[in-house]
Amino acid sequence: MTTTTYEPTAPEPELRRRGVRVGDLLFRGVAVAAALAATVLLGLIAWKVFDLARPAFQDFGLSFVWTEAWNPVTNDYGALIFIYGTVVTSLIALVLATPLSIAIALFLTEMAPRRVAGPIATMVELLAAIPSVVLGLWGILVFGPWVRDHLEPWLKDVLGFLPMFSGDPSQAGILPAALVLTIMIIPITSAICRELLIRVPRDLIDGSLALGSTRWEAIRGVMFAYAAPGIAAAVLLGLGRAFGEAIAVNQTIGNHSVIPSSWFAPGDSLGSKIASSYAGATSNLEASSLLYLAAILMVISLFANVSAQFIVVRFERARRGL
Amino acid sequence: MSEVASPDPRDLTVRSNGLRRRRVVEKIFGAVAILSALLACGILALVLGTLVFKGASQLNLDFFTKARPLFGEKGGIADALVGSAIIVGMAMLMAIPVAVLVAIYMSEYAGPKVSRALRIVLDVLNGVPAIVVGIFVFGLLVVGHGQSAVFGAFALAILMLPMVARATQEILEVVPQSLRHASLALGVTKWRTTWNVVLPAAIGGILTGVVIAVARVAGETAPLLFTTSIAANAISVNIHQALPTLPVTIFSFSESPDPGEQADAWAAALVLIGFVLVMNVLAKYFAGRKRRQLEGS
Amino acid sequence: MGERGSTMKRALALAFAVVVVVAVAIFAGRTQSAAAKPGAGSIVGTGSTFVFPLVSKWIPAVDNALGIKVTYTGTGSGTGIAQVTARSVDFGASDAPLSTDQAAACKGCVVIPWGLAGMSIPYNLPGVNGRLRLSGPVLANIYLGNITNWNAAAIKKLNPKLNLPDKKITVVYRADSSGSTYAVTGYLSEVSPQWKSKVGQGTTVNFPVGTGARGSSGVAGVVKSTEGALTYVDAAYSITNHLQFATIQNRAGGFATPGVRGVSAAVSTLPKKITNISQLKIVDPPKSAGKRAYPISTFTYVIVPTSSSKAGDMRKFIYWAVTQGQKYGPPLFFVPLPGSVKGFVYREIKTIQGT
Repeated sequence: MTTTTYEPTAPEPELRRRGVRVGDLLFRGVAVAAALAATVLLGLIAWKVFDLARPAFQDFGLSFVWTEAWNPVTNDYGALIFIYGTVVTSLIALVLATPLSIAIALFLTEMAPRRVAGPIATMVELLAAIPSVVLGLWGILVFGPWVRDHLEPWLKDVLGFLPMFSGDPSQAGILPAALVLTIMIIPITSAICRELLIRVPRDLIDGSLALGSTRWEAIRGVMFAYAAPGIAAAVLLGLGRAFGEAIAVNQTIGNHSVIPSSWFAPGDSLGSKIASSYAGATSNLEASSLLYLAAILMVISLFANVSAQFIVVRFERARRGL
Repeated sequence: MSEVASPDPRDLTVRSNGLRRRRVVEKIFGAVAILSALLACGILALVLGTLVFKGASQLNLDFFTKARPLFGEKGGIADALVGSAIIVGMAMLMAIPVAVLVAIYMSEYAGPKVSRALRIVLDVLNGVPAIVVGIFVFGLLVVGHGQSAVFGAFALAILMLPMVARATQEILEVVPQSLRHASLALGVTKWRTTWNVVLPAAIGGILTGVVIAVARVAGETAPLLFTTSIAANAISVNIHQALPTLPVTIFSFSESPDPGEQADAWAAALVLIGFVLVMNVLAKYFAGRKRRQLEGS
Repeated sequence: MGERGSTMKRALALAFAVVVVVAVAIFAGRTQSAAAKPGAGSIVGTGSTFVFPLVSKWIPAVDNALGIKVTYTGTGSGTGIAQVTARSVDFGASDAPLSTDQAAACKGCVVIPWGLAGMSIPYNLPGVNGRLRLSGPVLANIYLGNITNWNAAAIKKLNPKLNLPDKKITVVYRADSSGSTYAVTGYLSEVSPQWKSKVGQGTTVNFPVGTGARGSSGVAGVVKSTEGALTYVDAAYSITNHLQFATIQNRAGGFATPGVRGVSAAVSTLPKKITNISQLKIVDPPKSAGKRAYPISTFTYVIVPTSSSKAGDMRKFIYWAVTQGQKYGPPLFFVPLPGSVKGFVYREIKTIQGT
């Protein structure tokens, strides 16, 4: 530090009158307004959806949720068909995507040399960047026919004794839609798992290795145990994403409003039904029944997302307490 | 070394059955991990490959300069490109200022409880499915007034808001408090501190978040289906009418029996993916910049 | 802390003021944008994919002839009805007329026929040596799921000379709200009591079996890519996409095709004077229509609010469509409107007034 005197000049006081700074007030006010706007927007969305669904809710009540019907001619509506479609396609996608995502995350964090991990991680990210309509396009024109001509006959040969693999192969149905959803949620789940696995403290793993475990045993015993809540959260987030996907599912699920006995056969989901029918609903009851479906969709997506957050918060807190 | 009934597990010169089995298991799971990664890459290569293979042949000048065709004719996607660009641009104008302000409020002004409440609001907003956002904007704005590009942009902005706000908030939290304290200690007002000191330090992360959100939203179909899908087959910049967009065009063509329209769908998808990829590369660039900036400070 | 508290209160007050100002701006902007809509000579409509081929030809022609710019997208008749009811478009196109409830909801809309064509039944059966023949009851049983295989006895009986394969029938129907569905289900309700009681007629019905697809394009697309598939779609889509379509047995016993002659024969028994839309039901024509009459023919309509700011342009456009526009029809298998219907149309056009 030099000893030359340096007189710092304070910047112009911004209208400092009795501690009130107009600039600060204005800026803070605008920031508060933005926060309020975001909150009001959320409230508005929830209100509008429930308000538009109210006529159907008044007519059918809660039993709409487990009614298996959708007949615009007799004005008989129920959500069960579409809840089945949404839940089954999403769960199949989850069951397939989770081990794959964890395996990919493990590969990228533990096994791949740095030069390989980078490009492969980028490729997995790019899979996430594919818009759902493009994946649906591929699903209709390429994947669906392949599933119908190769995958489903093979599944029927191998697992045909199970009712869900026993129907006629079809290029549009529960299974093609579920497989497209799998492709969509792998990147999300694997990215989160990768972040989690990177954060596992090395000393825990080194300790396990020092005790003579193989690397896989260290991973299974230590990493997974440590990251389990995070992985559960990642899985739930992927589930939430799968629930909400309407377009790619609409393109591949076959749009048949029934609960099919075989997973090869066409069915329908909440988002897909709304995409097909909302713009053309020609009676108020049909329109508000579709909004009722939207409300149910919002609720189950919310449930998946909130559960994910809850798990993260709860286990983070518990871990910090250790 | 004394002979013991069971060999010392640390003695690797002795091959015990247990160790061999465990090594085999390890190799199996290693193989599974590699195969999974290869599967993911394989699917990506398959999808992109199909796009390029089937769509590249359509990418001629006509494709980029003609509007979408009417029944039985040939055309291009020029009007959809223009429409998408305008609508995504408007969505950015609507969403980014609000999102950044919300993040600033959460990180600079709000107390912990309010901040947490807002974080929940943003997460819930993020979780609203795009199709629900579409019918929300339809029911709120389109009914009685007709579709318009502005309404479509508004729907996309609703999707962008939580993404950009969260990204901004996270990067603002990482900006060191010392920067803020130093500025305030010099007598700079809080708002100037935020505007001139904190935001510039965070700009890399904010841009990363913006670019990722734009890439996501450029490919969204559901919010546009009900708000800007009835559009003339001609290039237009009239934002008070519905404008054609790439995702909705791909959606319509994807179910067509006409091989020409199918090829157009592949080509349009190729263009869309190209844009999304460029955005992702840009995001990585900004993320790198952010890291260098913060490490430097 | 008191100083901070009052700052906070003032900040909140300012925030509320900002929100109010922005909200007012948005609402003012909305009314502004409604007024700043496209100027005169520009009308927007949506609806039937059935009539989309014909309207596609009209759009550049009416721009040349009258300077009116028409924007039209095929989204399904139901969407046409719903959007014009919600007044988010200037006109809706539908192959299904408005029901009493829909007419009430539309609050003063007029339904005007402006096209006439046949609903073809295309199928995908490569390697079959000839055109398939179907009858109404057989078609109904296929769509009911009672007949599931192409070599079923009932189909063989109608096609003794064809080498029908042992292949499952993939039934395809319109997943969106469709006037084509309305016409076909109307026909099936006439020829099959089981269909009438189990499913009925409508723009959206509960199809017992099959796969759904969006738009005429969508169903044609599924048939084209799936062996053994069958659907119902406007004849223009079958022709343009090189899909083989079936001949359908009519009440006179003949097997008719959905071409210009088949549809013309179907409307030959219409009364000389049309006073009501309900007289325009032409599915399952009577025996007197002859052996050529195609049983699944339908009119297609434009639905317009009787009082709107676009009344002048709408009247001109519709008048042009039902006169000069009709000449674009035959290459697309649309039949020019019969004279008795034209009289009805002219009377209905007069009811469209300005606001």
